[in-house]
Amino acid sequence: MAQSSTARKLDDAPPRAVLRRAFGGGDPPRPPVRPNAAFASNAWLAVLMFLGAEAMFFAGLIGAYLVFRVGSQVWPPPFQPRLPTAMTAVNTLILLASAVTMRLGVRANRRGARVLLIRLLSWTAAAGTVFLLIQGYEWLQLLHFGLTVSSSVYGGLFYTIIGCHAAHVCGALIWLAVVWSKARRGRYTKESYVGLQICAMYWTFVVALWPLLYGLVYLY
Amino acid sequence: MGLALLAKPAALWACAVCFGDPNDPITAGFNASVLFLMATPYTVMALIAAGVFCAYRRARTQQAQAEPSETVAPLAWNQEESGR
Repeated sequence: MAQSSTARKLDDAPPRAVLRRAFGGGDPPRPPVRPNAAFASNAWLAVLMFLGAEAMFFAGLIGAYLVFRVGSQVWPPPFQPRLPTAMTAVNTLILLASAVTMRLGVRANRRGARVLLIRLLSWTAAAGTVFLLIQGYEWLQLLHFGLTVSSSVYGGLFYTIIGCHAAHVCGALIWLAVVWSKARRGRYTKESYVGLQICAMYWTFVVALWPLLYGLVYLY
Repeated sequence: MGLALLAKPAALWACAVCFGDPNDPITAGFNASVLFLMATPYTVMALIAAGVFCAYRRARTQQAQAEPSETVAPLAWNQEESGR
């Protein structure tokens, strides 16, 4: 097919050496406009939006709790067991420590320390598992003392809010196990570690939410 | 119906979340919950905006460290682009 005579063809362009002479020698300069580079990955943005939705979900639960808590003269209601605040405080520290190991793991990956990353991810998963085990033990004790979902509004709110958080920790642990497995296989490098980064974001969210719930449900 | 409502204006003041006594504890509970839920979307949006801003600044810093800035003459670029 014949090409248009008015169209500028690449073959008609002067050779590079001619251009250099016209310019004065040397390599041609870079374009003055720097191309726009994405400052974050799509997965990072998606997880950020997802965490916003999660925050609103927990806000609804906390709002329901506030209605009953502020609206009650006596809390916990009479003949209902008290929550174990001291043991849960220790559990809170364990969960906060897991967030620290997670962030250190991400930093280790940025430095290229793969072995340290795997070790720190293992510590994070261990702390999360201990948190869930202690909470499960607490639940068994509370059920034994008569606090059930249907025993009162107090029990219903407690199991709904704390149970939702425990389910999130459980989901985060499964995700963390996948990330740990990928880290062992060397899937994350210094330059490319989006999977690790978004898992750390989710873990940080779950951990950061817990002190708020602990203060509200256990201490307030 | 409008005339009936005008005849009994107190009915127009009814509110879905009012339970009679404003000093009632359950009213205080609803107020606390409503205030909390009103503040939460703004807090979440502010945190998302802060996260995006921090990521943008970090990316710009990394890009600046990776590529040192150069002085580029736009006219020289245009001359090359013209192909003369």
